[in-house]
Amino acid sequence: MVDEEILFQVIAEVGRKGADFCDVFVEERTTYQLRLEEGRVQENVSGAERGAGIRVLVGETAAYAYTNSLERESLLEAAKAAAAAARSGKGGSFSLGGPRRLSSPLHHPVLEEPDSVEREFKLDLVSRVDRSARAAGTRVSQVVVILGEGRQRVLVANSLGELAEDERTRVRIVAQVVARKGKEAQTGTESPGILGGYELFRSHTPEEIGRKAAEQALIMLEARQAPTGPMPVVIANATGGVLFHEACGHGLEADAVYKGASVFAGRLGERVASPLVFAYDDATLPQRWGSFRFDDEGVPATRTPLIEEGVLVGYINDRKRAMRDGVTATGNGRRQSYRYLPIPRMTNTFIAAGSARPEDIIADTALGLYAKKLGGGEVNPVTGDFIFSVTEGYMIRGGRLAEPVRGATLIGNGPKVLRDIDAVADDLDFDTGMCGKDGQLVPVTTGQPTLRVRELVVGGTTEVI
Amino acid sequence: MEGGRPPLDRAMLDRMAEWCEEIARDAGSGAEVELFLQESRGLQVRVFSGGVEDLRYSHGRGLGIRVVKEGRLGYAYTTDCRWEGVRRAAEEAIRNSRYSDPDEHNFIPHPRQVDLEDLGIYHPQLLEWDASRKVEMALELERLTLAADPRVRKVEAASYADGVSEVFLANSRGFRGSYLSGHCYCYVFPIAEEDGEAQTGFSFDAAVKPEDLDLGKVAREASDMAVSQLGARSHPSFRAVVVLDRMVAAEFVGFLAAALNAEAVLKGRSFLVGREGEQVAAPLVTVVDDGLLRGGLGSYPFDDEGVPSCRKELIEDGVLRGFLHNSYTASRAGTASTGNASRISFREPPRVGASNIFLAPRKGDRDELVRQVGEGIFINQLIGVHAGANPVTGEISLGATGRRIRNGELAEPLREITLAGSALDFLRQVVMVGEDLVFLPFEGSLGAPSLAVEGVMISGKG
Repeated sequence: MVDEEILFQVIAEVGRKGADFCDVFVEERTTYQLRLEEGRVQENVSGAERGAGIRVLVGETAAYAYTNSLERESLLEAAKAAAAAARSGKGGSFSLGGPRRLSSPLHHPVLEEPDSVEREFKLDLVSRVDRSARAAGTRVSQVVVILGEGRQRVLVANSLGELAEDERTRVRIVAQVVARKGKEAQTGTESPGILGGYELFRSHTPEEIGRKAAEQALIMLEARQAPTGPMPVVIANATGGVLFHEACGHGLEADAVYKGASVFAGRLGERVASPLVFAYDDATLPQRWGSFRFDDEGVPATRTPLIEEGVLVGYINDRKRAMRDGVTATGNGRRQSYRYLPIPRMTNTFIAAGSARPEDIIADTALGLYAKKLGGGEVNPVTGDFIFSVTEGYMIRGGRLAEPVRGATLIGNGPKVLRDIDAVADDLDFDTGMCGKDGQLVPVTTGQPTLRVRELVVGGTTEVI
Repeated sequence: MEGGRPPLDRAMLDRMAEWCEEIARDAGSGAEVELFLQESRGLQVRVFSGGVEDLRYSHGRGLGIRVVKEGRLGYAYTTDCRWEGVRRAAEEAIRNSRYSDPDEHNFIPHPRQVDLEDLGIYHPQLLEWDASRKVEMALELERLTLAADPRVRKVEAASYADGVSEVFLANSRGFRGSYLSGHCYCYVFPIAEEDGEAQTGFSFDAAVKPEDLDLGKVAREASDMAVSQLGARSHPSFRAVVVLDRMVAAEFVGFLAAALNAEAVLKGRSFLVGREGEQVAAPLVTVVDDGLLRGGLGSYPFDDEGVPSCRKELIEDGVLRGFLHNSYTASRAGTASTGNASRISFREPPRVGASNIFLAPRKGDRDELVRQVGEGIFINQLIGVHAGANPVTGEISLGATGRRIRNGELAEPLREITLAGSALDFLRQVVMVGEDLVFLPFEGSLGAPSLAVEGVMISGKG
C-alpha cells in the first residue's frame, strides 16, 4: 500500500518540530453498490479511493491534515501543515520508538470474498429480495434494494513506533418497502450486514429479507394511531438496542464525559441503572458489522464493560482521551475515512441477556406499548433527553399483544429509563446501523434482549388509549 | 493554500474533455460520457476551554465518471485523477453499465448556455485569512458566549469552519464548465447550569466572507436559548397553536424539500404524490427554490450535470406548482429539468436536490408572532427530525423543547414534549409567516422565517 519507512520518516519530521504524539493513517478502499428500484437495476457504482491523514497531538490540541496522494512529498507537506497548526499548543516532544508491528489474535474470516462472487449472483440476490417483498401483498407499491460491499485496508503508524494493519470487508443489504392503501403509505425496512463476505446470505436469505420488510409496512397500514401519554413499554430485542446506543452509549464516550457534556460524567462506580442491566461495547464479536481487529488508531479491538449490575464501570475512549486521563485505550478510536480525525465511537454496543422469557414479560404487562421495531432517534447528551420513533408497534392489553399502532414515539431520559428497566429477557439479538457523530458515519451494531421500561411517555396523536 | 484565489485550472477542463471522447470511444457507439471532478479545500477548527481542541485541514479531489449506453447507467469514481486512474475507473463504469437495466430516460443532457453572472458565492478572503485568524474567531466566539450570561458555565464546542470547492464538468456532448464556490460558518453549543440542572443551546452564522460572521449575535442567541431552558418541565397533552423558531421552521423546509424531490415523487416516496395543482398549504405559504440567489450557500451557475440554475416557486400561495427535477426525472415526467441535479460528492451519480429552498417571508418577527398568538407553545428545538418525520407518509412525530406562550409572551420553559400530526395538516394550518428569513447551512441551504401553526397535538405529562 505504502512504503512503511516513509511513514516513520514523516513522523520523525514532525518529532523534530515538537509534538507529544503523531500518527499516520493510510487507507485504501474499494466499494461496489447495486441499487434496484421499480423492479429494475438502476445503478451500478464502483469506487476506488486512497488517502492518508496525519495527526499531531500537542497538549489538548489535535491537528490534522490529509492528502489523496501517498507520495513522500505529499505526506511531508501534510505533516508540515498539521505540525504548524499544532504548535499553537504548548510544545511537547516525543522520541520515535523502534518500529514494531502489532499482532492480534482476532480473526474475522471472509468466507465468500466479494470479488469472487459473480455479478450475476449479486443481481439475482437483489431481484430475489424484490420479488419476495412484492409477493407479500398486493399493497406493496415500492421496493428499493441496495446491496453494498466494501473492502477497506488500513495501516496506522505512530510515534511509539507501532505499526498496525487491518483489513475490513463488509457487506450489507438494505431493503425498503412502501405499502399503500388509498393515499395512505407505510414503510418497512430490513438491513442485515456483516464484517465478512457473501456468507451473510446464508443466515439471512433474500426471501426472508424482502418478506420481513414488506410485512412491517403491510401491518402498519392496518395500524391505528398510537395513543399518547405515559405507559409501560416493552421493547423487543435487536433493533431496540438503538435506544441504549443513543440514550446512554453516546454519554459514555470519553469526549462527551471530559467536557461534562454527559449525564454520566463523574459517575464511575455509581449505580446508574437497574441491577438487571449489564451493558458492553465489544468490537471483538466475530463478524459483527461494527467489529474489527484494530481500531483506526491501531489499538486492538476490545470488549469494554460499561454497566454491570446497574453500576457504571467504564467509558469508551480513544488514544487522545486515554493518554490524558491516564487510562488504558479501549480501542474505540474510529473515523469515517482518512479525511477525518479519530474520535471515541461505539462499535457493537448492547445490553446483555437476562433470564426472563420474552413472552412472560408481555404476559405480565396489563396495558402498555410493545415496540417491536425502533427507527432512528436523537438524544441530548447533556440532559439525557431522547426521542425514538417506533416503526412497528403494538398495544399490549391484558398481557397479550393487541392491535398494531403507528406514529408512536418514545420520549424520555436515558438515565431514568435505565433505572426504570424492570425486566430483561434472554433473547439478545443485534441489528446493524450507521452511526453519525461530528459529521462522521461509522458502521455499528446495536443489541439488546426484550426488556420492559416501567414507564415511558409515548407521543402519539390520539388521546384514547 | 495561502495567497488568495486558486486559479481555475483551464488545462484540467481541456484534459477532461479529451478524456470524455476517449472513454466514449472505448464504450462503443452510442455511448455518452460525463466526467465530474471536484477539488475541495477547507479548514475546520473547534475550540474548548480557551484552547484549540482540534483543527483539520482538508484538501482532496476526486473524479466521477457516468457512462450511459442504450439507456444503461454505469458509474465509477476514483481519487486518482491522473489518466491511469481515470482509465481504470472508466473501465469499471463501462462494465457497470452492462449490468444495469435499460431506461430510456437515462441520458447526459445537451449543453445549454450558462449565464456567467457573478453569483457572489466566492470570496478570496476565505483562503487569504490564515489559520491563526480563524482559530481566533472560534476562541472569540467561545469567550463571548461565556460572557453572555453567568449561568453559561461551559461551552461544549465552539467552531469555525470553511470550505472552498472547485467543480469541473465535461461531457461527450460538448459541455464544459467550471466554477469556484465557498463559504464559512461558525457555531456554538453552550451549556447553562443552575441548581444542578444543565441545559444546552445552539446558534450559528454562515457567510461567504469570514469577516461577515456575526460572532456577538451567535453568542447571544445560543446563550439565551440555553439559559431560557433552565427549569424546563414537560407539559400536559393538548392541542395548541405553536410558533416555530425560524431555525426549526427551516428544518421543516428540509423535510418538505425531500417530499418535493421529483425522484421521490416518481417513485412513490413522497406524501405529495399526485397533488400537483392542489391546495396543499395555507395561502400564506409560498416555497421557492432559487439556485441563482446572490450569495446563497446553495447557489451555482449550473447543476451537477451541467443544466443552468433557475428560480421557481414550488408551492405558490399554498398551491403545489411543481417539483425539483434533474434531466432524468424531467424526462420521465415529461417536463424540463429545473437545474436541480445534485450530488453529495464525486462518489455518486447526480440525483435530485434543492439549491436554496425557502419559505417566502411575510410579516413580523418571532416576538410579533408570539404576541399575536397569545396562548400556545413556542418551539425552539426539534429532536429526532431524521427519525420522526417521514417524507413518504407525511407523518410527523417529534420531540421538542420550547416555551409556553402566555398572554402574548414567552413564559415557562418546556422539555420532554412531542408534537405530532401530518405534514399536510401542518401546512394547511399555518396561520402566520414571519419576515425574519434565515438559512441553515447544514445539509443544504434551507431557509425559513418564524412560523405559526394552529391545532398541533402536543404530548407530554404532568
